[in-house]
Amino acid sequence: MRGKIINIILLAATVCLTACGASSAEVKTGENAAQTDDAQADGGELRGALNADITTMDVHKTSNDYIVPMNIYDTLFTIRKKDDGSTEIVNSLAESYDISEDGKTYHFTLRDGVVFSDGTPLTAQDVKFTFERILTIPDSAQTDYAIPIEGAQDLLDGKADSLKGITVEDDHNFSITLTEPYAGFLASLATPSTSIYSEKIVTEAGDDFGVLPEKTLGTGPYIVTEWTRGSGLKFEYNPRYWGEEPSVKKVELSIMEPQAMNMAFQKGDLDILDCLLIDSAIVSSTYKTDAYKDHIVSVDRMGTNFFMMNENVEPLNNVQVRKAIQMAIDRESILQSIYDGDGQLEDGIYPTGCLVYCKENQGWLKYDPEGAKKLLADAGYGDGFDMEICLDTSNTDAVQNTVQVIAQNLNDVGIRANIRSLDHASYLDLRGSGEMSSYLALWLLDFNDPDNIIYTFFGNKDNTKIRSNNYADDSVIGRVAAAKTIVDETERYKEYSALEKKLVQDDAVWVPMFSLKHLFVISDRVAEFTPHWAGWSDYYFAETKLK
Amino acid sequence: MKGLAGRIIGVTVVLIGVIALIFVMLRIIPGDPASVLLNEHVSQANIDRLTRTMGLDRSLPEQFFDYLAGVLHGDFGRSYYIQQPVSKLIMEALPFTIKLTLLSIAFAWTFGIVSGVVSAMYNEHILDYLFRGAALLGISVPVFMVALLLQYIFYFRLSLFPLTYDGSVASLILPAVALGWNSSGSVARLMRSELMEELDAPYMDTAKAKGLPYRKAVLIHALRNAALPVISLMALQLSGMLSGAVITESIFSIPGLGRLALTALQTRDMPLLQGTVLFTAFLIALGNICADLINTLLNPRLRTG
Repeated sequence: MRGKIINIILLAATVCLTACGASSAEVKTGENAAQTDDAQADGGELRGALNADITTMDVHKTSNDYIVPMNIYDTLFTIRKKDDGSTEIVNSLAESYDISEDGKTYHFTLRDGVVFSDGTPLTAQDVKFTFERILTIPDSAQTDYAIPIEGAQDLLDGKADSLKGITVEDDHNFSITLTEPYAGFLASLATPSTSIYSEKIVTEAGDDFGVLPEKTLGTGPYIVTEWTRGSGLKFEYNPRYWGEEPSVKKVELSIMEPQAMNMAFQKGDLDILDCLLIDSAIVSSTYKTDAYKDHIVSVDRMGTNFFMMNENVEPLNNVQVRKAIQMAIDRESILQSIYDGDGQLEDGIYPTGCLVYCKENQGWLKYDPEGAKKLLADAGYGDGFDMEICLDTSNTDAVQNTVQVIAQNLNDVGIRANIRSLDHASYLDLRGSGEMSSYLALWLLDFNDPDNIIYTFFGNKDNTKIRSNNYADDSVIGRVAAAKTIVDETERYKEYSALEKKLVQDDAVWVPMFSLKHLFVISDRVAEFTPHWAGWSDYYFAETKLK
Repeated sequence: MKGLAGRIIGVTVVLIGVIALIFVMLRIIPGDPASVLLNEHVSQANIDRLTRTMGLDRSLPEQFFDYLAGVLHGDFGRSYYIQQPVSKLIMEALPFTIKLTLLSIAFAWTFGIVSGVVSAMYNEHILDYLFRGAALLGISVPVFMVALLLQYIFYFRLSLFPLTYDGSVASLILPAVALGWNSSGSVARLMRSELMEELDAPYMDTAKAKGLPYRKAVLIHALRNAALPVISLMALQLSGMLSGAVITESIFSIPGLGRLALTALQTRDMPLLQGTVLFTAFLIALGNICADLINTLLNPRLRTG
């Protein structure tokens, strides 16, 4: 027995020692490996970081993870930012298009000679297949983009087996008919959500599409060569790409915690650092300094931050109270102190840079705590009241701090505001139930059209409930839904401007806060970095140039 | 061996209990998987459609017995969020966790046993204070702090190791140390106290009397008697670590079980969360049985015929 125990202990010790020995041998290999990486990095490799893994590469099944779709697929159109900051829709897979008199039928011609990365040619049938797939896969996350097409609802409900509104004329020509005119339609064809897939590739891949890199192929400038779930992604240039050959030939995206990103960037192991993903205190102390001033790239995030108030909750159902809250929040100080002034105040619904941005609806909202107190007193709440502000704890520190300041501002005018912290899933659940009393949120535009934001919040009864605003005026809700179909540009502007004024100024549905800039820091190896036009964290690799 | 069969039946009952418990709890906590999946792009029509697709519109008992029947056939369902079979995801994540566990346990046990023995032998000596200090730090400093410190020193300052996991064994060393330090602290403290008790035992005087050198006496006689509780502790640590180290795996981007479970929890991915919890429970139950077996094997007093 004694021999046995000693043997076991000896064995354990040997195993441990061997393991340690092996590890120290590996360290050297590790160093060598690091050197090889550096060598590769000189050959057109871009190194970026993600804060969380993507769930799928199939954009039809996600509305969050666009970094892969943006770089491996193409859309019919794409959006470019002009020098003056405005945006335009330019052709991508579509070579030309025209619109019928009634604004309902679009005729498209596809670019010649486009192939998927395995050589399969792109045809008009692939476009039809793409939209039918969006409507028929059970876990589709992008149905909203196909719904305007004639017959889409029937296909979604299973009442039809093909999409009536898309007619394929030959390999390169097809037309799309909408149920009613929709001015934002072309813009919606320029979002990653409507990336064009190959019928052959998707059908052959089956369940592996979007999961296995070698079976998830598009017409875009890159192909995914490796995806290690939870660890990172590797991309390579697609030699069959129809467009210009990009400067970046290889991309490596690693999933990292914020502190690690910062360390890796300072060490020279990252080329692009997304300031939204790291601690804002580090951004202002380290990167907003002279040492990095030529390395900072800033872009307007096309989105409105707003503070929503639920009209089903006493006394937020009183418009005077909501107006008082609008006046009580010191937006300018929040912007200066928390966001270091990197943004601008917004007084409406459509943010700076949006296709419809109404200057006449800006500049009316002033910080006025005395006025707010007076309004509250007039409304019969001179002694204040209790209210609850809900906070999603998965938000950045900056958002959490903003909510703290808002609560303080409200307390200053006598409203006893309490912050209720909820985890992301519980937060979404409560908001979706229509019972969240108030919250601070941001809406980033998916495509550059006012409809994308106003319809989301005020377009129908379900939307007002699911966003917990419970806006009560049905006639305005009807007008928001109808505004979609106005094609004439002047009329469209007039109606959207009037709706914005009615909702925010007359009915005080929310407190418009600000739009923010999105900062990136680039390494010495990057010559030019163009963020996404709407200021997303996801970017097009092909628009980055290396030195 | 009769005892073993009994244990296995017991474990099966516990596992079914775990399924029932996690199933009910997941449905009590707020948060709806369909809303999380749609996130900001939520609309009532889409929520209804996804709720139907996920089968969440059925009654709770119906969902439960469907799931149980699936599990008995080895089908753990499909992840809502990642849209892959749960068993496949767990099997993909497991090798990373095993690698990390083996390395970290190798560190923890070597360091723990050596420092425990040295501390006991050189009681109140400078070496004792040093090793006890290290053990105390391991137990009291949180893993994320240790991890950050290691990253800062060995990646940022000294460029010796990669920052995060990149597939190489070298990139697993920092996470293994971060994860193993805590366990090594527990091993060291237990080793020290057990060994010190044995050092006071009369048989040590006998050994001394018959002329056995002190070191030899410690290693041959005392260590052997002190090892039992330490070995049980180590067996439990092994199963604990195998169930995934959420924080370590997140900080070092290791795509293991802990990280998988965390993602599942954040997204209310019920099938995936049920799968990972069940698997973890299974590993821990297995670890307990192994610890018992080892104890019985090493300690004749526990063998009752």
